Amino acid sequence: MPEVIRVSKKEDLEISKEDLKFLEGLGADRRAKLAMGTTEDYLRMLEKMKDLEKRGEITIHHVTDEYEPAGVRTLSRRVKKIPTVELWQHKSCGQCGHIPGYISALYWVMTELGIPYVDDTNQTSCTAWNYYGSGTSNPVALSAVFLRNMHAAWEKNAYPLIHCGTSYGDYKECRYLVVMSREIRDRVRSILKKIGRDLVIPEEVVHYSEWLHVMRWKIAERRKLDVSKVSVAVHAACHTYKLMAEDFTYDDTVLGGKKPAPTSSTALALGAKLLDYSNWYDCCGFGFRHILTEREISRSFAYFRKIRPIVRETGADVLLTHDTGCVTTLDKSQVVPLAHGYKETVPVMSDSQFAALAMGAHPFIVCQLQWHLADWKPLLAKMGVDWASAEGEYKAYLERVRNGERPAFIRSPPRNLENRVRGESA
Amino acid sequence: MAAEERKKEEKGRFIAERRYVDDQRIVEPEKLEAGGVDMSGRWGTLVLPRTIEEFDHSLFEGVKRLPRGGKVGKCWQCGNCTAVCPVAHANPMFNPRYLIHIVRMGYQAEIEKVKDYVYLCSGCGLCSAACPKDVDPQGVMIALSIAFKSGRAKGGR
Amino acid sequence: MTGTVLVVGGGPAGLRAAVDLADFGARVLLVEKRDQLGGAPVRWKYRSLAPDFTPTEEVMGPLIGFCESSPMVEVHKGSVVEGCEGSVGDFTVKVRNEADGTTTEHRVSSVIVATGFEHFDASVDPRYAYGRAPNVIGINELEAMLKEGRVVGHDGRPPKRVAFIFCVGSRDRSTNPWCCTVCCGVSIKQAIEMKQTLGDVQVYMIYMDIRTVGLWEKLYWDSMEKYGINYIRGRVGEVYYTGEKLLVKGEDTLVRGPFEVLFDMVVLAVGIEPGPGTKQAAGVLGLKLNEYGFIAPRQPNVHVDSGRDGIFLAGTCIAPMSIEETLSEGSAAAMQAAKVLKKTVAV
Repeated sequence: MPEVIRVSKKEDLEISKEDLKFLEGLGADRRAKLAMGTTEDYLRMLEKMKDLEKRGEITIHHVTDEYEPAGVRTLSRRVKKIPTVELWQHKSCGQCGHIPGYISALYWVMTELGIPYVDDTNQTSCTAWNYYGSGTSNPVALSAVFLRNMHAAWEKNAYPLIHCGTSYGDYKECRYLVVMSREIRDRVRSILKKIGRDLVIPEEVVHYSEWLHVMRWKIAERRKLDVSKVSVAVHAACHTYKLMAEDFTYDDTVLGGKKPAPTSSTALALGAKLLDYSNWYDCCGFGFRHILTEREISRSFAYFRKIRPIVRETGADVLLTHDTGCVTTLDKSQVVPLAHGYKETVPVMSDSQFAALAMGAHPFIVCQLQWHLADWKPLLAKMGVDWASAEGEYKAYLERVRNGERPAFIRSPPRNLENRVRGESA
Repeated sequence: MAAEERKKEEKGRFIAERRYVDDQRIVEPEKLEAGGVDMSGRWGTLVLPRTIEEFDHSLFEGVKRLPRGGKVGKCWQCGNCTAVCPVAHANPMFNPRYLIHIVRMGYQAEIEKVKDYVYLCSGCGLCSAACPKDVDPQGVMIALSIAFKSGRAKGGR
Repeated sequence: MTGTVLVVGGGPAGLRAAVDLADFGARVLLVEKRDQLGGAPVRWKYRSLAPDFTPTEEVMGPLIGFCESSPMVEVHKGSVVEGCEGSVGDFTVKVRNEADGTTTEHRVSSVIVATGFEHFDASVDPRYAYGRAPNVIGINELEAMLKEGRVVGHDGRPPKRVAFIFCVGSRDRSTNPWCCTVCCGVSIKQAIEMKQTLGDVQVYMIYMDIRTVGLWEKLYWDSMEKYGINYIRGRVGEVYYTGEKLLVKGEDTLVRGPFEVLFDMVVLAVGIEPGPGTKQAAGVLGLKLNEYGFIAPRQPNVHVDSGRDGIFLAGTCIAPMSIEETLSEGSAAAMQAAKVLKKTVAV
């Protein structure tokens, strides 16, 4: 016998008892799989995290005053605390491998601003790329890797700052899973126990572009080059603002608060001209697995759906983004089309490299633009950098490094701190 | 040719989602080199986007000037022609309504895909009898076959 | 007993009713909210009327001229009806002049409501960038340009490529679910006029259905066969201003093809919706609105009958309709008012 049930304020549904049971089962399944959907779910997760801490089930790595936090608005309109000092640099595999200037520029900026940070050698990959790329791994393994790294930061008394968009998105999701699912929590705990660690969940998962966002005025104060004539297009990484969308930074004064603020805000603070374009929300072409399994489509998408429209519509001098995969895909994907005779090209770099350049960092020793394939020479010329003589300096520097000199801006890896976990060596 | 061998020679056969991609969209260079790096074949393959970026009526204007093509501009895409077409019942690649529209709008990739099927028209004339706007689709098919043969498929340039 | 009829609204329906009643020998009290008679065709400076390109003045001029000059018609511009008491044959109505705030009282035998429509405000639907991007205009705004004979973008240059997007704010649950009935025909009329005015222009009609009903169909045929206007069946997802041109993103559903094509100008075929004047008049006169906000006649096939004795309806305050229908409805309502007069006073 069909009966009428109320689906929402606006909708009644006539449905048989069997179908109702089936649909309820489906709904329960979905909830059991933790479909991460609504802002309410997300806020509920944050509440539950506090409960778990009260009950002693987990430790929360709070963004305490020692991290000198700054508040930002997120899409959920919640204020998120961004730590500004004592940062634990959570590096990115692709970043170190493909665009090392990304990371050295960030370190250089922090050193210039006198920000204490930890560049720990005791960090693993988040393994999320593997998960996206091949469908291997599973929520428990991913969560265990996430918490292992968070614990490593916590025991060094430093706050994790995630460089990679994919790690950042993955960690936001993993945190949700760990908090909301007892089963995952229990299984992760038993894994962590084996390596002498425990559940330490960060109060905020923070991406480095959010740090640049809150530090942008300090960075602008130290600007050495005039970039007011430089026009900038920004690509925001899907993994930062489309995964757990409610947890990324928005600012009413940047792009009308309609698009994510980081990177755009940094460019604006430095005085560059920010340009909009029609495919702003589109992926860079990296995809989730496409860069690995469908390179032809990935590079074609990057060029035809991002680079070409951006160049045609904005004529921007540089394309800034804030994720390893995006910089790599957008930069390297220009090579084949250019060989085919397509003309549109734009240099691509991270916001940290652009900020460092504007602050007077060396384009090769610090920003390592020599690794970037799309032609950056016109950009440097426009910024007033004599790239030819910089190249000479770089060659001399390489010679000195060959003879044993240590790069000044790279710190000794582990900071000599006392472990929080007494009696156990990390 | 055996099916196996055909598969080996298929353009872009290495693309993981090959069957979603029309042949016309794949550019697989036999020889491509830049900066001393060999990018021939797979390494230099591009997949052109599906997006229509331009409406180009030059081929259409050319068809209008060909014998029996003059009334093509009256077509309003009702589909009476294809509804009565005996060939369309057998072969989905031959569709007079569709042919007229893609030629009118100059959808180059689509034209490349189906233009060789225009010669399947049997000339029975049912379409021209059924056309409510007096487009004479049968005549238009003849005009199109001339236009495609004479190289006007590339926009008449 | 009085021989006066109140007509609310000085657009095509109201004017037609007023002229007919005055000709018939009745006195008319014509109340118009705006400072100008003529309704939407005059307010928006319609160049011509579909389907035969009749200049608007030819149709509206005589009606306005008559009402402005006839001693039988007392025109109250910039005024609204504020109160209505009594019953058929003897209503007492209050008319307030919005400029000086004065209110006058009048006794009337019957009331004709012809409060007309508003064009849909396209900024409600952000897809089309109306109000944000230059050179995105409504068909209402294009009329004035055509009338002036100067169709140009914001840079003063005539457009080379124009897209008309049909059914903006019509046939859509999130805006207005009804069909405005005339915007297909009006858009096509304008496309032809644009061709005639500019000559060297490509016009693309992006439609979901072409609804040129009745004899308006000729517009559709001519636009294709004589003027080479292009038709693309599909919808538009986004209009994006590149700083120079308008990138229109949509789908050609006949080929399942997504397109992103640059245009110089985008014209939105904005629909018809009931305006605030209709709601206000209905409130004062105690008339029912239907689910869409139009005035609901006693039964939908008989438009003139408001459901209240002595109050009659005409034109687009009841439903979307063409100007020829509107004019006829004005006459039809006048006939009802005349019947009341015949019963109550010797004319």
